[in-house]
Order: sequence, then C-alpha cells, then structure tokens
Amino acid sequence: MPNVGRLMAGLLEGLAPHTLDHFTRFWLPIGAGAVAATVVIVGWNTQTDRFARGYAPDQPIPFSHRLHAGALKVPCEYCHSGVRRSRQAGVPPVDTCMNCHRVTKTDQPAIQRLAFLQSHGEPLVWKRIHALPDHVFFDHRPHVAAGIACQTCHGEVQTMDVVSQQMSMRMANCLGCHRDPHPALPPTSTIQRAPENCNTCHR
Amino acid sequence: MKREADDSSRPVVAHDLVASYAGLDALNDPLSRRRFLTLLGASAALAAGGACSRIDRGGILPAARKLRSSAPGVVSHYASTFHEGLESYAVLVKTREGRPIHLQGNDLDPRGQGKAPLHAIADVLRLYDPDRLRHSLIDGRPAPWQEVLGNLARGVADARLSGRPIVLVTGAVLSPTRRTLIEELTRAFPTVEHVAWEPTVSDEEQAAIRACYGSAVRMRPRLDKARVLVCLEADPLRNGTPAVAADFASRRRPKAAGDPMNRLWVLEGALSLAGAKADNRLSLKPSLAARLALALARALSERGLPLPAGVSREALAPFELPAIAREAGLPLAKLNALLTDLLAAREAALVLVGPGLPFAAHVAGHLLNAMLGASGHALEIAPAATPTRSASLADLRAVLERMRAGSVGAAVFWGVNPAHAFPDETLVRAAIERTPVRAAIALHPDETAALCPLVFAEHHWLEAWGDAEPWPGLLTLQQPTVEPLFDTRAGEDVLLGLLNHLGVSVAPTYSEYLRQRWRREVHTASALVPFERFWQASLHDGIVKRAAPPSTTPPFQAAAVADATSAAIRDQPGQGFELLVVEGLLHDGRYANNGWLQELPDPVTKLTWGNVVTLSPSDARRLSLADGAIVRVQVGQVAVTAPVFIQLGQAPDVATLALGHGRQTGNVASGVGANAFRLLQRSGGPALLGGVSLTPTGASIVLPSAQPYQLAEGRDMVHSGTYAEVTRPTASQPVESLDPPTPQAAHKWGMAIDLSVCTGCSACVVACQSENNIPVVGPEQVRRGRAMHWMRIDRYYDGGADAPRVLTQPMLCQQCDHAPCETVCPVNATSHSPEGLNQMTYNRCVGTRYCANNCPYKVRRFNFLDFTSTKKAPETLVFNPEVTVRPRGVMEKCSFCVQRIEEARAEAKVEQRSIRDGDITPACAASCPTEAIVFGDLNDPKSRVSQLAADARGYRVLAELGTRPAVTYLAEVKNPSSGDNERPVTVTRPGERHGG
Repeated sequence: MPNVGRLMAGLLEGLAPHTLDHFTRFWLPIGAGAVAATVVIVGWNTQTDRFARGYAPDQPIPFSHRLHAGALKVPCEYCHSGVRRSRQAGVPPVDTCMNCHRVTKTDQPAIQRLAFLQSHGEPLVWKRIHALPDHVFFDHRPHVAAGIACQTCHGEVQTMDVVSQQMSMRMANCLGCHRDPHPALPPTSTIQRAPENCNTCHR
Repeated sequence: MKREADDSSRPVVAHDLVASYAGLDALNDPLSRRRFLTLLGASAALAAGGACSRIDRGGILPAARKLRSSAPGVVSHYASTFHEGLESYAVLVKTREGRPIHLQGNDLDPRGQGKAPLHAIADVLRLYDPDRLRHSLIDGRPAPWQEVLGNLARGVADARLSGRPIVLVTGAVLSPTRRTLIEELTRAFPTVEHVAWEPTVSDEEQAAIRACYGSAVRMRPRLDKARVLVCLEADPLRNGTPAVAADFASRRRPKAAGDPMNRLWVLEGALSLAGAKADNRLSLKPSLAARLALALARALSERGLPLPAGVSREALAPFELPAIAREAGLPLAKLNALLTDLLAAREAALVLVGPGLPFAAHVAGHLLNAMLGASGHALEIAPAATPTRSASLADLRAVLERMRAGSVGAAVFWGVNPAHAFPDETLVRAAIERTPVRAAIALHPDETAALCPLVFAEHHWLEAWGDAEPWPGLLTLQQPTVEPLFDTRAGEDVLLGLLNHLGVSVAPTYSEYLRQRWRREVHTASALVPFERFWQASLHDGIVKRAAPPSTTPPFQAAAVADATSAAIRDQPGQGFELLVVEGLLHDGRYANNGWLQELPDPVTKLTWGNVVTLSPSDARRLSLADGAIVRVQVGQVAVTAPVFIQLGQAPDVATLALGHGRQTGNVASGVGANAFRLLQRSGGPALLGGVSLTPTGASIVLPSAQPYQLAEGRDMVHSGTYAEVTRPTASQPVESLDPPTPQAAHKWGMAIDLSVCTGCSACVVACQSENNIPVVGPEQVRRGRAMHWMRIDRYYDGGADAPRVLTQPMLCQQCDHAPCETVCPVNATSHSPEGLNQMTYNRCVGTRYCANNCPYKVRRFNFLDFTSTKKAPETLVFNPEVTVRPRGVMEKCSFCVQRIEEARAEAKVEQRSIRDGDITPACAASCPTEAIVFGDLNDPKSRVSQLAADARGYRVLAELGTRPAVTYLAEVKNPSSGDNERPVTVTRPGERHGG
C-alpha cells in the first residue's frame, strides 16, 4: 500500500503543528461522530431490508386476503395448491381466480383485467414478498405435513388487505423453531425436535 | 431471487467515484485534505446509497394456464429416445419448470434397465450450447425459415427440371418414420439420391457382416449368456450400450469362493477398458489379430469342433497356431488355455472383434462364433429392420466426385459434417462449391454449414419428435421436453416443406406426420384401444412392444472365409508403426463443443481436452519421446500433429489416435486436438493403418491430465485378485480415536462400490457433473490440478510396464465418520451430520483450503476462479435448481447427492412413513450401467448397502488412518484361467504395506 503511506505522509507534511492539534481536537471527533451517525441512521432505516418485516409492496390488483381467506374462508390451499407436493406453495394461475369470478363481481375493473388476461393466456405478475437467499433450500412440504399452520410463519394473512412479511427470514428464526417446535405444532403432534444440521437447508 | 436496485442515484455516485479514481491515477503530487475528504464523502455516499436501496424482490410469474400435471418445483420425467451411430436408446428426461436438466435411462426398457449411455447423459448440455444456430441463414444472414425453404424449393425444382440428381446426405436413419418420409421423398422425386453415412461406423466391419451373412444384419452381444468372452481389440465396456456392460457384470459378482464367473480374454495392442478388466490379457499387434483368429479356428476344428458348411479345413491350412504365437510373441500355453476355455463353453463363448480391425479379422471372428454356436445364442443376430447404413466412405467419395464434376443439381446435408469427418477436405469443399444448390440442416454452424448458402437451424433432439426401432419388435418414441429455445425446426420439416412446396400433399409438420404414421402402421396391432389412448400411453412409456417377427439366425456364408484368408495372407504387417484410429469420447466430433465431454478424463489415459498419440514405453524410449512431445503422424501423403502419451500396457510398434477432435468451429471445440479423420483415406470409421511414421517435431506441451501419477507403487488402495486372495482375513487393528463418538440418528448413509463390476466407463462422472452443477474449468486449470469433478475414476498400474495390472477405482468423498477435513476448518463450514454426512456449507466457507490439504482422499475441490458469471445464455438453464451454484473462493465436494436425500425425506414425511431402501439413488449410482454403486442406510440391516458392506470382499480405502469412511469398496475378483501360473500375485492387505 505505498499510495496510502504517501498519501498520509503528504497529508501530515502540509500541516503545521497547531493545525494537527486543531485536527485531533475538532475534525477527528466530528468525523468519527459523522461516521457513527451514518452507520446508525443507515442501519435503522434499512432494518426492513435486512429483516424485511413489514415489507408490503403494492400488488398489481387490489386482492384482499382479508376478504377471501378471512371473510369468505377460502382455504389457503385452494390457491396455494403446491404446498403439499412442491417445495414452493405457488401462486395460482388466473384460471383459479376465474373459477369464481367468471360470475362474481365481473363489474370490477380488477376482475375485468383478470378476464382479459385469461382470454389472452397471459399471467398476472405479482410482487414477491417472501424471499430467501439462493443458498437456502426451504421446503413447505414437511412443515405442512407436520401440521404447522401457515400463519406461524406468514402471520395472520386472513386479516390483511395487503399482505406484508411478518417473520424475519433469518437463520436464527428457523433454528429457534427447529430447536423447540412445540409452540408451532398442533398439541397432538409427537414431533420433539426438527433437524438442525446444515444440510437440512444448505446444499 | 434476483435483487434489482431501483435507486437511480446509485450509478451516478459510482460513476463519480470512478472519475475521482481516474484523477488519482498517478498519485505523484501529495493529496490535498480537500481531495481526501471528497473521496471520503463519495465513499460514504456510495455506501449509504447502496445500503438504502429499497428491496425489490422481483415478480412472481405464475403459470398462465392451469397445468394438469406439473407444479413449480416439481420434477417431471418424460420418456424419449436418444440416437447415436447405429444405436438408439430409450431415455427418461428429468425436467424442472419445463426445461430438461438431467438424463437417465428409461426403466421400462427391457434391455436398458434404466441406464443411459454416457453420451446421452452429457448431451443435455448441447441443448443449451450458446454456439447453437439460433436462426436459419441465407448467405450467413439470419432469415425466416419459410424464406430459406422457399429458396431451397426453387433450387430443387430447377435441379429437377434440368434432370440432374438431388443428393440428400444424412446420418444413419434409425427412425422408421424418418425412413418412411425419406422413401416418400425419393418416390415423389426419383432424382433424389439418399446417402446415409455414419463417419464412426467401420466400413471393414460392415463389409464383413455383409460377406458373412449375405445381407445387412444387426448384432447384439448377449454377455449375460457368455461364460467365456474373447475380445480381439474390442472394447464392449467403453462408450457402449449400458445393457452390454450390465450383462457382463451379471456374471462377475461372486458371493463365495467357487461361484461361477465369466472369463474375459483380451488380446489387444492398445489398452482398453476391457483389457483393464481382463482375466487374461495378452499383448497382440492388431495386424496379427486376423491370422491369430483364423489359426484359433483351425486349432478348434482340429480339436473336433466342426467348421460351418462349405468351409474347408484346407482354407485354414496356412494359419498354424504355434507359428503365429511365435510371430506374435505369445506363449503357446496361454493360447492353448484359451482354446480349452472355448471348447468347454461352446455356445456360451463369444468372440468380439474391434471395429478398427480389418475385414479378415471380422470374418474370422464371425467364423469362430459360428463354429462355437455363439451366433444366435451369446450373439443375437436379427435382420436389419431399418437399413441403418448404406454408404461407405467409397460411396460418399463417389458422390462427392460427381458433385465436383458439376453433375449434381442440389445437395442437402442433414446432421452430417463431411467437411470435418471426410478425410479429403479439399474434395468436400470443391464438391459443395461446384453444386448449384446446397443446403445444410444443422444444430451448429459447423464446417459443412459454413460452405452452404442455405442453412436450416435444426431442433436439438430434446426439442423434437421422433421414433426409433432399437431391435425388431421394440419401438421407442421421442418427444419434445422443452419449447424450442431458438427459432429452429425439426430437420424432417425441411423435407415435408419441400414436398408441400413441390406439390405433394403431406402433413404440415413432422409431429403430425409421426402421429399419422403411427396411427396407420403401429396402432393397428392393438386396435382394440382408441388411438388417442394408445398414443398417450406410448408417449408415457416411451416404449411399445410388438410381436417380434420370427427371427432365424442367418446361416454363415462360407464364401467369406476364402476372401478373409487371402486378405490375411496378403496384409502382412509392413514397416513402421501400426496406427489404430479409435473412437474417443467425442464420437464423430458432434460432441466436441460439449465441455463436460472435453473435460471428462479419458477412461484409460486420464487425459482431458484433446487427443494424443499413445505409444508403448519401449517405443517412446527408442524415439526419445516424453509425454507431451508433439509428433507428426504420417500416413501415406497425409499427416497430422498431436502430442505423445506413453501408455503402459500398449504393444510395441502400435500407436493410437482418437477421432472426433480437431474441430474448426465452436467456442469450446475449435482448435482442440487433431483431426484423425484426415488419416482415414481408404476406409471409413475406426481403422488400422499400417506403415505409419512418427517424426518428433521438437515441440512439446504439458498434457492436461486429471491424474498425472498413475503408478500404484505397491500400495493397496485397490484390492484385486482371485476370490481367495481378496477375502483372505487380515489382522488389522482397529484404530483408536480421540474424537468423541459420532451421534446416532435413525439413518446412517453409506455407499458400497463393487470394483468387480466397475468398468471405469465414467458415466457416473458425467452424471454427477450434470446433477451437481459442476463447472468446466478448461485445460489450463486441469494442468494445475484444479479439475472440479466430485467423482473421479482413479487408474493405477502395478507390475511390469509392458503387462501391468490395471486397477480402477471410483473415488469420491468418503463421508468419513472421523473426517480429517472437519477438524481443521476454522469457520465450521464443514461439519458432520447426525446421519453420517460430511456436510459442506458454502455460505460459511471462507476458502482457507485447510480441509482439502488435510483430506487423505484428495476429493475436495476449490473454486479458484469464478466459473459461472462467464457463462453465456442459455447455458445456465442446465443448472439443477436443487443445488447451489458455488461462487469463487469456496470449497466443494461430493455430498452423496444430499438434495436427493432431502427430497426423499420430504416425500416420506408427506406420506407419513420412513424412508425405504431404494428411495434414494445418487446420480452416480443411477447412471452406473453395472450397478457397481449402491447407496443406502447402513443402520438398516436389510438394506442392499448394509449387506454389501458386510461382504467378505469389502474393505475401506486408507482405513488404517482411522477416518472411518462410509464408503465400502468390494475387492475386484479376477477369474484367470487355471493353467495360468505366471501372473504375479502382488495383492497386499492392510498391515502388509511395503513402500508408499
């Protein structure tokens, strides 16, 4: 690092002794304070980015889980039908929406948009809310098979008009439940512990 | 998963910073404080700007329509058919989200038994080859398919009017429907001449088959019925049909001393996989093979075996076994032992002759099989239902000469590349350029397509429809498993388009044509079922069995023997080297742009990337040549240059060179290796060339070898010997360990590898590469020992240099219970699972490489470079989405295909049961044609792997280090002839180590 050495030498060379004193008394604390403040402010403001709780992007249509899953009590698996046969729960094709909306609420602009998409064979592109890093392999199947309710991780979706992320997707969160799964499991479950070895999620 | 920044200020800041750095370049004058603070501010702004970007996790794209079968994240398998040379194979294509990612054999295929050949497994990479043709071309410019077709149709119509012939050159036509289409074309336009030419099919072998059986027949060795197998320069275990290797292995799994085994005699000049496996291997110059085989026939007839009708003993009189044994330097006692074996086995004996050997040797082989009664028993012969090949090299040369003379009106090359695979490049060039209308139907812009103004971009077979008839009575279907990636069509669509353009009414697309023909000709056999159901069932299974036509073994034609004897007497070995031109891993060069196959170590030499002239150690010494010295190989007027490799076990005065290298197009293929097709002036396909001179050029390279040191040095990594030798009890002490005992879980994963049936074919290496997203690193990195294969096949030589014992050992992570790698990792990136897996967690790895240095098996691989970001679209689509793609600076190794274990576990949990034996098959085990690799739960005493691990032949590699591997090797059992006392028995066991 000769450049840095020369840079520092040059910096000190150009300063008279009292300037150095001024630097250490005045500029150094201010600089350190500014760096610390930057870290704190940036860190605070990007909390949702890092822990992602409360992330609730606007979706292409104003679909309300509170209405469908809450008031109308449509089961989660009616739409997220992959959850027992795939790693991913999946998002339904427009065909699934139109099972009901062929006759229901056809006057709404959002429904008309769905009808348009269906007739043209095009998908509805939703905004993704829950995401895991590429090196994590989460599988819905064993969790659903163990009887864990969707709400355990996804929050009370049936009360949300706009879905937001409720759980931080950090490894500590996964491990907490894997070490002591009882709060998440149905009372009749015989499962004592879930696997904690690396290969469970990383491969 | 892709994160995209929506902060538009971010690139601006970065740009400013770059500008500031540009001002910093010299740093000659001292930096002012202001400037320093500017930089500090810019860095802080950049850091804040980067950190402040709001998350955008992209979109979720659900299916546009409800899918009947598949869901995102769910694997679907589709049955299809893979064609190569004169064979076709029923395969299963594993797809995820509508794209093929892995191949295996079709388990409904009665012969294939769920195994796919090596080339089929590797060919999924060619589908995603970025060098593929993306559009059809007119004079090198992209053009719509219809326009190219219109141009061709006009040209063909002109050629028809002028009365000049139209030549269609294709590869072997294995598909009955494709054949029907070509017949329809030649019927509609009698001036169309069809030439089906396969560059890697030996003309001499085909000529001998026609001479011996009167017509084109197809042969299938049934090694499961052969107690004695004699290979004359033949290698049934390499690159071949998985069923053949499986049949061979079915007789090589002794459970106790004295269990019957087959006996493999190999007489060869160049070491082959069969030679490595041989119970008795004799070094023989290939030019002597014909006379030796005829002498064996004579000796058998003298010992009472009748000659076929019409063959007189006088014809064989010139071939005396003692004289030829003397000339070949073979001990007569061994040949007598071979005769005794053959006489004892009779129809359960089989003689296989290598495709490169001359006509006379092939006839002699057929004569021996006819005498023994093997024909029809251990060698199934059926009339060729599909005339698979009609053209020899001479036929094609005649066509090209006529083209050069200007008497051909139009030429279409479909799936063949004569500009690479025909020996005389100038003739091909002149012939094509003198033909007024010329078109190529090709997957790649290859050497031949470069000469054609009209180029049709063809589907890869995974995108196309088709069918095949691998054996009379068995039909297989080929179906698309992915939407075409580029603007391509099936090659058959060109012919259909031509017919439609020229006024013949046929189906508009080949898929329709195929259905129509199946409805017309195949469905009638089972007409009780509606066609649609029959068609769906056939697509599902991929296989349709029909009543086989009654097969009678055609009689041996005695007239062939006279031709063979005169040829054998005429063709005395001349001066100079004998050069065996053999088929390598790249077939006719069509796989040369496949990095997996270029980097796959050759099963014998362990060399990657390019072909070499193999020489015996004595010849290399005589010519003062070392590994990598570049020599000029001169055959007649033609010469190629290639580096030398000294191959132990090779006969003196014999050299080999593999076909398929030396391509001039393709980003991977071009310039790698030498084009050995140029040497095949007289007959096509693998051949034996005499009077070859080798001249050192003085230049030399370092060969990209996957295993630079191959001598066993008396160490005992690989146990091999007779049953008694390998099961001799040992007094090895269990190694004490200071490590805490490993925790017990419900399962303990383990593997057993039976070296007795492992042929070293390397299908597992490619399957592992495909399954686990293993990168291709290139020759320079291979030279530095940085090849990335998780599974490798080690090859060791023991004993003398001229007749060495050849030992083969698949090596992968041994998943040690006391793993030396785990204790040295400073960040706990590699750790032990309760189920006995040595886990590698990439996101924790910081790349110290301590683990690799501490691994006694040398199975850990380090990503020295970033091998992924340089990939061009659509190559990354081949990745298995269940396995992390590793970045630079990260260690990796075999995981026992943990993604398959976890998949089986998830399925078991959904079905609320425990994992059963056989639920989990790692990619290597699934691809192994001989089922040498067995995976399972060692805690379950009934599992196959537990039983194999307890076998008397079982041992663990380097067990004396106390690593407690989870992989048990079963020692290789050899079955040498009882009269053979000369073979040195140097099997050593733990505790008897000498040297190391």
